[in-house]
Amino acid sequence: MFGNRNFVVAVVLIVALALAVLPTAAQEGEAVELTLMGWSSSSAENDRLQQMIDDFNSEYEGQIHVTLNLVPEYDTTLQTALAGGEPPDVFYVDSFRLPDYVEAGALMPGEDLIEEPDDFYPSLRQAFTYDGVFYCPPKDFSTLALFYNVDMFEEAGLEPPQTWDEMRAAAEALTDEDAGVYGLVLSADFARWIAFLYAAGGSVTDEDFTEMTINSPEALEALEFYTGLYLDGFAATPSELDSGWNGEAFGKGLAAMAVEGNWMVPFLADNFPDVNYGVVELPEGPAGRATMAFTVCYAVPAEAAHPDESWTLVNWLTGPEGMAQWVSLGLAMPTRQSLRDQWLEQFPELEPFLNGAEYAHKWQFIPGFQDVLDTVNDNIQRIFAGTQTPEDALAEIEEVGNEVLERYQAERAEE
Amino acid sequence: MIQFFGRSYDREDLIAGVLFILPAALIFLIFLVIPIVFAVAISFTDWNGISPPSEANGVGLANYEALLTQPGIRQSDFFKALKNTVYYVIGVVPTQTALALLLAVIVNQRWLKAKGFFRTAFYFPSITSSVVISLIFMWLFTRGGLINYLIGRIFPGYNPVNWLDDPTGLIHNILGLLGVTLRSAPDWVRTKVLGLTIWDWISGPSTTMISIMLLNIWTTSGTMMVIFLAALQDIPRHLYEAAYVDGATGWRAFWSITLPMLRPTIFFVVTIGMIGCFQVFDQIFVISSGGPAKTTLTIAWMVYRNGFMNSDMGLAAATAFVLFIIIFSLTLLQRRLIGERMQI
Amino acid sequence: MAEQAPALKRAQPLTLRDRLSHVMNSVISVLSFVVLVIFALAMILPFIFSIANSFKTLPDINANPQRLLPSDLDEDGWPDFSIQGYREVAAGDFPRWTFNSFAYSLSVMISHLILDSLAGYALARLRFPGRDAVFMGIIGTMMIPGIVLLIPRFIILKQLGMINTFAGLVLPVMADAFGIFMMKQFFESIPREIEEAAKVDGANRLMIFARVVMPMSTPALTALAIFGFQGAWNDFMTPLIVVASDKNLYTLPLGLALLRGFAGSQFRWDTFLAGSIVTTLPMAIIFFVLQRYFVEGIAYAGLKG
Repeated sequence: MFGNRNFVVAVVLIVALALAVLPTAAQEGEAVELTLMGWSSSSAENDRLQQMIDDFNSEYEGQIHVTLNLVPEYDTTLQTALAGGEPPDVFYVDSFRLPDYVEAGALMPGEDLIEEPDDFYPSLRQAFTYDGVFYCPPKDFSTLALFYNVDMFEEAGLEPPQTWDEMRAAAEALTDEDAGVYGLVLSADFARWIAFLYAAGGSVTDEDFTEMTINSPEALEALEFYTGLYLDGFAATPSELDSGWNGEAFGKGLAAMAVEGNWMVPFLADNFPDVNYGVVELPEGPAGRATMAFTVCYAVPAEAAHPDESWTLVNWLTGPEGMAQWVSLGLAMPTRQSLRDQWLEQFPELEPFLNGAEYAHKWQFIPGFQDVLDTVNDNIQRIFAGTQTPEDALAEIEEVGNEVLERYQAERAEE
Repeated sequence: MIQFFGRSYDREDLIAGVLFILPAALIFLIFLVIPIVFAVAISFTDWNGISPPSEANGVGLANYEALLTQPGIRQSDFFKALKNTVYYVIGVVPTQTALALLLAVIVNQRWLKAKGFFRTAFYFPSITSSVVISLIFMWLFTRGGLINYLIGRIFPGYNPVNWLDDPTGLIHNILGLLGVTLRSAPDWVRTKVLGLTIWDWISGPSTTMISIMLLNIWTTSGTMMVIFLAALQDIPRHLYEAAYVDGATGWRAFWSITLPMLRPTIFFVVTIGMIGCFQVFDQIFVISSGGPAKTTLTIAWMVYRNGFMNSDMGLAAATAFVLFIIIFSLTLLQRRLIGERMQI
Repeated sequence: MAEQAPALKRAQPLTLRDRLSHVMNSVISVLSFVVLVIFALAMILPFIFSIANSFKTLPDINANPQRLLPSDLDEDGWPDFSIQGYREVAAGDFPRWTFNSFAYSLSVMISHLILDSLAGYALARLRFPGRDAVFMGIIGTMMIPGIVLLIPRFIILKQLGMINTFAGLVLPVMADAFGIFMMKQFFESIPREIEEAAKVDGANRLMIFARVVMPMSTPALTALAIFGFQGAWNDFMTPLIVVASDKNLYTLPLGLALLRGFAGSQFRWDTFLAGSIVTTLPMAIIFFVLQRYFVEGIAYAGLKG
């Protein structure tokens, strides 16, 4: 089967194939070549970004040429490129990962290079500020709000909830366990519960990350409210509703409410076009309204090969005009306050998300905070499973958190 | 004959041996041995995995201490991961080996019609990438999915198990049926050993972990079957013919000829299975990310999480190296147990 | 055996013990067949459902995953198959990625057939100093989670100038521990007498290997070819770090991962299933073709009785 002659033929063939696939040498030109690295999103968003890059390239013809490189498994790819000394010229950074990259000295501060920085919402600027330095301008953002099923609410004669009490009452009224429908779909996830923690007046750590402040009466109230919805049977987890995440359970009509971000809007349009839903801001807690801002910025590496050109690109993409073009599909929200009214005229139904920007908290802590995140998720999951109490959970989170903070402070003291 | 360290070697064999192994050895040296040495060096530093590795600071044994001896979240996570991984290996390796051997022996029977179909069918789950197969599996194992539907048809009144999101351990569940819970258990089960309470140590694999174990058995049995098939065909037919004359057929021929002849292959399959299972990662990555309640936190997942989500590549490398030592010792032990009896 | 039983019965009278053993054999055969069918169904059904669902619209997949035919009917009353998922797949650079995948997998397969068998044979049969250490070293490389080797390997490839090249894709995986280990175990189970006979005839080691050992190892080489091809076909992390920034060198798994979108957490099932089927099909065909080389019971020439 594998005769010698066949081997030779096969090897020759492979070599020929290999040569055919090898990249052709790049054309010598005067334009500076830049790469923009990011992750792949919906195809509509990918296409729009490519179109913007094309526009940029024609505007800067002969000076700058940008290649858009959307990669799978983003964190691994980016980290390998950075550590290997081959950083892309511009890349996405999620606010949660910002401290890791800053502490590693991987980012160039954008403080004096970003155009009109005061136009960005303060909460979003904060998300990319570390140690008082503003690193990179937010490309867009999402906030959490409450999705509700209009048909279910109308049938029960209910108004969308404005407070925690109303939310709980609505969840109770809309739960019909025999029909397998719950008032709320709730994931055992820190990134959702934290909005309730802030709405109760609680906090995770102190300002300077010297100690955890999460073991407080406010946090307990928030944790008891959140897990109580589940334990009392008014809410179910996505997996109990045969779903991968909250959006899917809501779309299937198995839950009347869901706490999610604006990324769920195009998801519902694609997957569950018949669902009649509305969106309101997250209900008011004991200490008022709170939500979370999840956001991504365009960063330039500390060791940029072409810093001027890179910042030109970043400022073009996040400047008033570029931003307006980027958000015109309604898939992403403008991070510049000056674009608010114009955008809302076009997408009035998304107002609750945009309003959240005014009182949103940043999703950003310190390097190494993944340990705390995992511990919180672990504890919420155990409370749901009935093997942990909210009191013990907060004590455990506090202990782990303080260990992480202590390590962080010790490392900083060394530097 | 040539002498080396007091042993004599056939000259021709020696030259041929070195030349035969050289090309593979070079590839290994450049793309595996050097990176491994590099990773070991990293495990003694605080490298974050983002800045160039030359900027990392040496920290001595600190990473190993954090994992093994120093009480804290990193120690308790490591031993939790070790516990989960060991349950996983114990559940998967014997089952997939036995199942693969069974399928191979049946498919190898002369009387079987449509062999090609069965071989392809059994190999099918192995063909697809682990990401694709994990996703299909998730879809089957959702609470209202096909698996629960089928069980419900066979056992009416069955209360659907939430396979992919159930942190309760198998042994805890069995103890629960016997009336033993954490509340009723004696106080000593709350004693902490290596960051975990005794009660936690004896949890057994969680329901979610069991689902992932089933997935692995389902996908790798096909691969193992192909290996067994190839080995079965290397057994000379005349051995069976001779045995037949002596009156040994069926079971007796299987025990007296097939199994002994397969010993090198069994050693291979068990070793490979063990090495693979100790490093279970892809399925965790796609299905559970270590949850629910850290019951599918495995050592390899911890390596990834610390290296690429928590900017602590030094700790990740140390974890990887500890895992290496565990697997290596077990392989040596197993080689002693199965290997020494190999007379071929 | 079961089918031969009646013929035997007529030929000569049977003792009770013979009868019992024939009945037992038939029962075992039937039971085995039942086991076989059940397992075959368990292995194949998920794929049938995946194929069926790939021809449905996204809302239909979400609402009725258990149906084999689309719920919507066209004007003639036939099920209205949707090829939206396949259209999305075709929008990617799939022809190129498929070509790359074939080139990559074939190269890896061929080099495994040569390098792994050579190394496996050396470890099984040829005594040289440090053989045991080399063997344990090779197995040892499998015991380190590959994820910590990504960055070091990237740095080495960068030094060699092989980032974003086809050579950088293939070279690091031209030999693998799994294949070497497997071939060593196979060669060990081949009776030595055959090689010794050839040696007496004056053949050198390479000739024995190429003319005697390799032709006898068709089943093992088939397995090695299948695993080599398949490993490369489905490999994700190795190609990712080597060619991440050159779409022209992407293989199918990388392309497929790009299609997943939404940072991996939410799936467009129609596109995803279509992409999975497009990537799995060639592999399935190759396996079906190669597995014919598993012919049970190789009769060793010159070693009868």
